[in-house]
Amino acid sequence: MPKQKLHPLPSAAFQILLALADEDLHGYGIMRQVAEQTGGHIRLGPGTLYGSIQSLLEERLIEEVDLREDEKLGQERRRYYRLTSAGRKLACTEAERLAGVLRIARTKKIFRGDYV
Amino acid sequence: MSEKIYALLLRLYPRQFRNTYGNESLQLFRDRSRTERGIFPTLRLWIDLLADFAVSIPLEHRRARLALIGSPVPSQPDGVPSFRVLESDSLRPEAQLAGALLSILAFCSVLLLIGHPARSLPIGTWSFPSANADPASLSAASSATGDSDADAIASTPSTDRKTASATVDPESPNPAERRRAGFASSPRGDGPPQASAAEPKPLDATHAVIDAFATHNIVMIGEIHGNKQLHDWLRQLVSTPAFDDRVDDIVVEFGNSLYQRSVDRYISGEDVPLEQVQKAWRNVIGAIGPPSPVYQQLYQAVREANLRRRGKHQLRIVLGDPYGDWEKIKNAEDLGPYLGHRDQCYAQVVKEEVLARHHRALLIMGSGHLLRRNGPGVVERTLRDAGAQPYLIVFGTNPAGSDLDKRFSSWPRPSVVSLSGTWLGDLPADPVATGGMAPATALKLADAADALLFIGPRDTLTQLRMPRSELEGTAYGREITRRLTIQIGQPFNFLNDETEVPQFPKPQPQPQQPQPQAAAAGPPPLPPIPKSINDPLPPRPPSQ
Repeated sequence: MPKQKLHPLPSAAFQILLALADEDLHGYGIMRQVAEQTGGHIRLGPGTLYGSIQSLLEERLIEEVDLREDEKLGQERRRYYRLTSAGRKLACTEAERLAGVLRIARTKKIFRGDYV
Repeated sequence: MSEKIYALLLRLYPRQFRNTYGNESLQLFRDRSRTERGIFPTLRLWIDLLADFAVSIPLEHRRARLALIGSPVPSQPDGVPSFRVLESDSLRPEAQLAGALLSILAFCSVLLLIGHPARSLPIGTWSFPSANADPASLSAASSATGDSDADAIASTPSTDRKTASATVDPESPNPAERRRAGFASSPRGDGPPQASAAEPKPLDATHAVIDAFATHNIVMIGEIHGNKQLHDWLRQLVSTPAFDDRVDDIVVEFGNSLYQRSVDRYISGEDVPLEQVQKAWRNVIGAIGPPSPVYQQLYQAVREANLRRRGKHQLRIVLGDPYGDWEKIKNAEDLGPYLGHRDQCYAQVVKEEVLARHHRALLIMGSGHLLRRNGPGVVERTLRDAGAQPYLIVFGTNPAGSDLDKRFSSWPRPSVVSLSGTWLGDLPADPVATGGMAPATALKLADAADALLFIGPRDTLTQLRMPRSELEGTAYGREITRRLTIQIGQPFNFLNDETEVPQFPKPQPQPQQPQPQAAAAGPPPLPPIPKSINDPLPPRPPSQ
């Protein structure tokens, strides 16, 4: 049986799925959204970004929507990507898995302070 | 400068990645460079990029290797056996080593059996292209060596290259060896081999065009209007996934740019009434008479390719004909400015819709517009001034009654043949580009274009014509009559009972004596050139 490319789901791929949860975005838009949602901790470079996008496309977790201009960025036409229902489901599963990990961490009282 | 450095670094990625995401990676780099200005942001950008290279380049090479191993082999319709690797993971290194040793053992055993010493093997006689070789040559080399990455071959240091002429005897009895070495038989096939004019290497046209996009963002096809066989191939080309992945736009001469919006909607798969979208190819400013159905078929083929590829990269048809509105053109003076700026308009559209967006595009236009006479034509010159490096492929076939029939007969159809340094490139351009309809001049094929597109022998080529039923007694037929009166002063009979006719007239025996009556009558005089032909184009109206 062929090995699944996105199992376990890499962090970059998960962040891309989350970035596309609200709206269709082009590559640069995804990069900015990921940087924003991680507080600037993750800035995806082009190689990582498009490598992850390719894997997500192959697994049908995202899809290319169309080529269009982003008025804020000029007249270049850009490829936009959209989260598929399978991608949304996987993002949800991964978020629940991480929530489970977080619950375990809480019970083990490894956090200092009460902010989590 | 920094963009050029980044573009160079991108070459470290496997070709598959570069072809699919190279432009977008550059676009992302530009976006970040625009917003992250100043010393520290720029420094941070480059640190990010270098870290990204370090991580992603090995990953992409591994992915490319896995894709190669796991890719299915297309079935061979002619019964040639093929292998299919079902594993998705690569072989273990020890398995690869064992396989290599077994192969060498088997190879040596065969040599011993047939009594050939190893030193006589033609190892090192394969011809490697130079670093600045054109794509067709690179493809030829890659197919000869079995190496699919022509870039890698081109980047091989010149000292490592083994050239055939250095090691192969031109009198070698082995024809294949002689062909590889460039010692082909003479153009006429009756003289001694000529080392200076190499044998042309016809390549499958679809693969050659796709490969050309690895090194050129613009590939120009000089077509012969209305040709069925050429357009059969073009439809096949636009339906090829590798082409659709790599190319963004197809810029056509046979589309009035006034109707770009309708065509965009139609090509993207929307339901657009035919009456609306067909104005694009029926209202072409430069067309004399009704358009051939091949053009509508190409629009349909691109639309169908896009529909099949929903969710993937989509092709766009960009219309290059001037935006004149035939409903407002009442006389030759109204038409003049559009006629006088056809090439400029086409080039401007390519600049705005393709180059400004860093796209790759296939340009299709009549050969006459693109052939390099005294240097590049208006379209190519404009694009070169804008930084593009077009690759020009022009239609060509054997002129009537020439001995080229025999020489072309073994070539695959359609094929693309690189011209530089070959006897084909030394031929006069005009007779080959027109099937013998234009006389030879000093212009040689190699100076007129980069490559030749061979679709088939002259007398097998046919032209499709609009059926009589669409023209006779119809509003469009009457409109064509009106346009012809404006364009050439009087209509001609454009109604055809046959929808497929020979592309070129069959050669007729010359009459012994000239016909005095016919000579006296001559063709009807053309109307004077409109005074407005050099007037500037009116402003572009909104797209319909």
